[in-house]
Amino acid sequence: MTTLYINEQEVSVPAGTSILEACQQQGTEVPYFCYHPELSVAANCRMCLVEVEGWPKPAASCCTPVSDGMKVCTESQTLDKDRKLMMEYLLINHPLDCPVCDQGGDCKLQDYTVQYGASKGRYAEDKRSVENPKLGPFITTCMTRCIHCTRCVRFADEIAGTGDMGVLDRGDHMSITGIVDECLSSELSGNLADICPVGSLLDGPSNDVSRPWELTRHKSTCTQCPQGCDISIESRGDEVMRILPIEGSPEAWICDRGRYVYDAFRSDNRLLTPKARVRNKLANSDWDEVCAQAAKLLKDKRVGIIFSPDWSVEGLTAIRLLRDIAFPEAHVAFDLHRRDLRPFAFEEGFGQTTQQIEDAAEVVVLGSDLRQRLPLVKQRLRRRLRQDKPVTRIGAMNYRVNSAIEKDALIRPSDWPAVIARAMDQVSELGKLASGMKEWQAAVKGRHEAGKLLADALMADSCSLLVGEEIRGHSDAAALIHGLDLLMRACGHTEAENDGRNLIPEGMNAQALSAIFGDIRTGVGELFEAAEKGDIDAILLIGSDPVGDGLFPMQAKKALENVPLVQIGAIQGEISELAQVLLPAAAYSEVEGSFINVEGRVRVATSPLKSLGLERPLWKVMMRLACCLGHDVPAVQLQELREHVSKFLPDLAKAWDADEDDAFMISTGRNAEAACLPAKAAANGGVLDVVSRYSMYREGMWARASGLLSEAGKRHALADVIVHPDTLSGLGLSEGKNALKTSQGDFSCHVSTREDVSPGVVFVAKRGLAGDVSNEVSVQLGGST
Amino acid sequence: MIPSDPSKVTAICFDNVDVPNMRKLEVAREQGAYAFLPTVLKEFTSEKIIDEVKTSNIRGRGGAGFPTGLKWSFVPRNTGKPTYLLCNADEGEPGTFKDRDIMRFDPHLLVEGMIMAGFALDVHDAYIYIRGEFVHEANVLNEAIAEAYAANLLGDNILGTDFSMDLTVHRGAGAYVCGEETALIESLEGKAGRPRFKPPFPAVEGFYGCPTVVNNVETLSTIPAILEFGGKWHASIGVPNSTGMKLFSVSGHVNKPGNYEVPMGTTLRTLIEKHAGGLQHGTVPKVVIPGGSSTPWLLAEHYDVPMTYDDIMEAGSFLGSGAVIVMDETADLLALTARLAHFYTHESCGQCTPCREGTGWMERILKRIQNGQGQPGDIEVLKDAAYHMSGRTICALAEGAGAPVLSLIKHFPELLEAGIVEKAA
Amino acid sequence: MSAPQFSKARLTEIEALVKRYPHAQSALLPVLHLAQEDFGHLSMEVQQLVADTLGVRLMAVREVVTFYTMFREQPCGKYLMEVCTNPGCMLNGANEVLRHTCDKLGVKVGGTTPDGLFTVAEVECAGACGGAPVVQINGVYHEKVDAAHMDKVIEDTRSGEGAGA
Repeated sequence: MTTLYINEQEVSVPAGTSILEACQQQGTEVPYFCYHPELSVAANCRMCLVEVEGWPKPAASCCTPVSDGMKVCTESQTLDKDRKLMMEYLLINHPLDCPVCDQGGDCKLQDYTVQYGASKGRYAEDKRSVENPKLGPFITTCMTRCIHCTRCVRFADEIAGTGDMGVLDRGDHMSITGIVDECLSSELSGNLADICPVGSLLDGPSNDVSRPWELTRHKSTCTQCPQGCDISIESRGDEVMRILPIEGSPEAWICDRGRYVYDAFRSDNRLLTPKARVRNKLANSDWDEVCAQAAKLLKDKRVGIIFSPDWSVEGLTAIRLLRDIAFPEAHVAFDLHRRDLRPFAFEEGFGQTTQQIEDAAEVVVLGSDLRQRLPLVKQRLRRRLRQDKPVTRIGAMNYRVNSAIEKDALIRPSDWPAVIARAMDQVSELGKLASGMKEWQAAVKGRHEAGKLLADALMADSCSLLVGEEIRGHSDAAALIHGLDLLMRACGHTEAENDGRNLIPEGMNAQALSAIFGDIRTGVGELFEAAEKGDIDAILLIGSDPVGDGLFPMQAKKALENVPLVQIGAIQGEISELAQVLLPAAAYSEVEGSFINVEGRVRVATSPLKSLGLERPLWKVMMRLACCLGHDVPAVQLQELREHVSKFLPDLAKAWDADEDDAFMISTGRNAEAACLPAKAAANGGVLDVVSRYSMYREGMWARASGLLSEAGKRHALADVIVHPDTLSGLGLSEGKNALKTSQGDFSCHVSTREDVSPGVVFVAKRGLAGDVSNEVSVQLGGST
Repeated sequence: MIPSDPSKVTAICFDNVDVPNMRKLEVAREQGAYAFLPTVLKEFTSEKIIDEVKTSNIRGRGGAGFPTGLKWSFVPRNTGKPTYLLCNADEGEPGTFKDRDIMRFDPHLLVEGMIMAGFALDVHDAYIYIRGEFVHEANVLNEAIAEAYAANLLGDNILGTDFSMDLTVHRGAGAYVCGEETALIESLEGKAGRPRFKPPFPAVEGFYGCPTVVNNVETLSTIPAILEFGGKWHASIGVPNSTGMKLFSVSGHVNKPGNYEVPMGTTLRTLIEKHAGGLQHGTVPKVVIPGGSSTPWLLAEHYDVPMTYDDIMEAGSFLGSGAVIVMDETADLLALTARLAHFYTHESCGQCTPCREGTGWMERILKRIQNGQGQPGDIEVLKDAAYHMSGRTICALAEGAGAPVLSLIKHFPELLEAGIVEKAA
Repeated sequence: MSAPQFSKARLTEIEALVKRYPHAQSALLPVLHLAQEDFGHLSMEVQQLVADTLGVRLMAVREVVTFYTMFREQPCGKYLMEVCTNPGCMLNGANEVLRHTCDKLGVKVGGTTPDGLFTVAEVECAGACGGAPVVQINGVYHEKVDAAHMDKVIEDTRSGEGAGA
């Protein structure tokens, strides 16, 4: 530790801390523009100057490390004058745009001018003006306002890893610009508007619509991916104007998916009124009418319930309560991407926090497009790579992480057993064993060399696995996960403080889903098959879109030709075309409720927005439905409902009464008895494994309801189908129109090639096509029909 | 030949600068080039060399005047990372043109100095960063280096020893700021030449994060003599704290502008009248800029100042690179200051707020005053702008930008006032 | 118009150059000089070529090209005449040389003659103040220049060009 004096007060900080951070720790305010706690130090704005006793010149506190006995002074006449001049220098070329600039009210330049600046500027010469580069629909640029702090450039290099922004020219001709074709390519691009301290880079979609002081801030949880980031939903009245990250959250940023979904809140796709089908067309109705109709379709029927995991835990509990009361024999399904329903040795959810993953000695990503699925976890991995800490990646594609990963292998989904077995060979030779491993190894004939990368990583003191959708959605998932579990046990990575088994779930609340629905759970495919066979009379769909998302669109369409659909949700969507009645449920911005993220971290939303229309919190809809079906309602107040929640999740009760800052972790389930041997591998002959692309801009009803994300989806679109060039040439085919031959028949598609897709894999990138073939495990590729 | 009696030394760097074809290895060898090198490589240790350089008390000849031996001793050894030696041949300070003569007339002197310095610092890759405009000089250096490689003076196992060193000439592309050592390193890394803040210091973390020493051409060219005749020998020339000889580039209103090597401590008057052919007009100068355009002005009353670091500092300026710009009473000092203001505006890298914005501000005000459109308060603004960019930026370019303006205001305010229009009552 | 390419010989030269540095990006300035020699100026296509050849991002190349004065993104006259007007030269008549040259060629400072032969530019200190005034013509230093010298250079150049045409 180093001890120094700041304004004559003694302060102790870790050695190497900058004077600025020491001041912040002590609570002394020092102004700055270019400094940012998540970015490298630039020290170019010169606003953070302080005086150090014995030094002839003031020091830039952001880049000067503390030393023992140092005496720092942050207020003096000279510093006053310095700060006044800095403001004067900055306002030389900065235009007087305050009345028309969105940064107004939230602008460091304004704040410091008031605090430190002169009341009149003395600059009487010409000002320069700068052309505005086009960075895409999310960021609006007004570069004349730029003060050249280079936060955006550093962000693009260090955080996004895309290096889209740069500095051209020098001196006062210096300008910051972007090199982009269509739009910034990072999934974190929206953060640029946050970090720009002036109105140079602004949030495009919300530009010129409102001012910060008109907005109310609602602390909330994003449910667009399992990370469940803290977000501040900013509304003017009931209208959601924008979504921002919250300072001090575990993750420093939010992704564009969670940020720009906000226009879905007030889009035409919002379900704000109950609707019923009249003469085969959906028409606005009222609660009484739709409840009556729903009751007719569901009462005393054999019902299958499919729901989205992203409701609040209270909402999910209410679904269970409704099922128990009204459909006591019913099974539920909530995972659109899971084929194998046998219990997993480690369930969906993380065994560690994202910080622990970042700090682990080794991290292995197994079959996941992390950048799109969990962008903030991928961000953690980028940080590792920048510190020269290793990351290993094995999967069907070299999914982009905007960093070079050297320990890398491309494999086909059907290769997973051989990969794991190869890793097992290696670790057992080194004496690392677990009961059941020998049997597992013996059940697999082949070996894949990619297993060496996995085994090498497992040898470290701590190893975190990030198990992704390629494994979770595999038809033999339980066996693969059992195999990985054996490896982790054998290598000592399953202790409570060091449990590196992290399985990426479908959505939020994974830990709650086990607790609440574990005993009545079935598969989406199974439910639809039952409906098609006539074993189920009706489908109750709560928040999901099994036609637009997931592996079972064909089964869904076939089933819904047979049975009626009651849809409850916040978004209308394509699936609504197949529904008889629609019951509007409140969006995640409009509920008071608890959410559990992938780490098991609990967040409680307590300041919801008002409903825009007739939508009600899901749990109330469930209770209303129970009532209409002729039952006693188990909870009328949120308090009563929470008593039921506590029965499933006793730990959750602590979170409701706690201070905001406490972080509660609900642990992820482990099933020691979930032992599965891998199935016998089928002969491969000419067949290609199917991998469906996840697009963060297109997946989920909310994303599709958002015009902004849909626009981005178009700009980031890939070809229909992508294969490795060797695969295509091996089949004697060429790029362009070809035919995908599946068990459902032949589909025409446009095939392009990329070297970062594994040979032997068909990477289905376009949703329409993917939707049609997504439950295929393997297909063949032929010439154009 | 350089005499071993320090009191008889008349030249070190320029000892052979007038020898025809001195740039050719053959000719250079006749004058003694590389004769002492085998002794250094075979008998001297790194510690001994650094000791001699410390004893010589030679201070960096590029302008900063930092003791060279001390700089070399800051380099950590056995870090597992390579150490780099970079020769700063960017010579862009207005008024400075001394390194050019060494490079184009006696390149082997520089090469030999770099081999010896590289040996002392355990360097295996050295670079000469030469300003892009010196096309001819870069060619001369490249030819000399090719000759040196052919003669086993560079490359693997130099002169049959274990020591190997590669030397590459790297041309800049027109940026004065690249003369600043961290900007030079940035430029050598293939980026825009924007200075880095310190710490970390280049000696510890420089070129690609490795220990790096940046030395001026003249400094490195003095090393062979220091090692051959000893650090004590060098320290006996000149005056304590400003030892050795110094190349002074004299330009402006003198009859024989050029580079002159004289012992440190020589007075300004001697330099100008004995060596540079005396003043074009008058008997005393009006203004002398002693160390390049970035240094404060000296006046007629300073004509007898000894050219040493300490004496010039006492007189209110800096020895800097030793670029002496002389102005007599015919000089338009306002126009000169305005022209320098443009220079600094053009050359500012743009990182730091006061330099980026302030240099342009000063230039525009000075232009207005030149056109007779000055406003009351302009002088106060100029003073503020110049003062508050001094010592408050990542590098010293801003301080250099402020110097001429502050000098003009201090010594010749009437020149500014003449261009200022009083507001109508 | 096809994309610009380096000749085989140039590529070999660049390969050898890159080997002298710890990382390829260090070779950016030397390679840009070579590219400017080959192509006359550094258009966006040439910058992309350099980026691809060295394996660096286009943005990195743009930053360097726009930072350094010697790199030109626009073509200039066949003979680039750069007049220094900093103190050493200014005090010895550089402004007059500049004015004279511009008048003689009928261009403004920074301008190019209509026949594309001459560009007259005003530049910063050339580092040869002992020979003030200094004019660089296509990189060659002309020292102690006066109006007469410039006149002769222009005449000689013109007749040289005329003879060749």
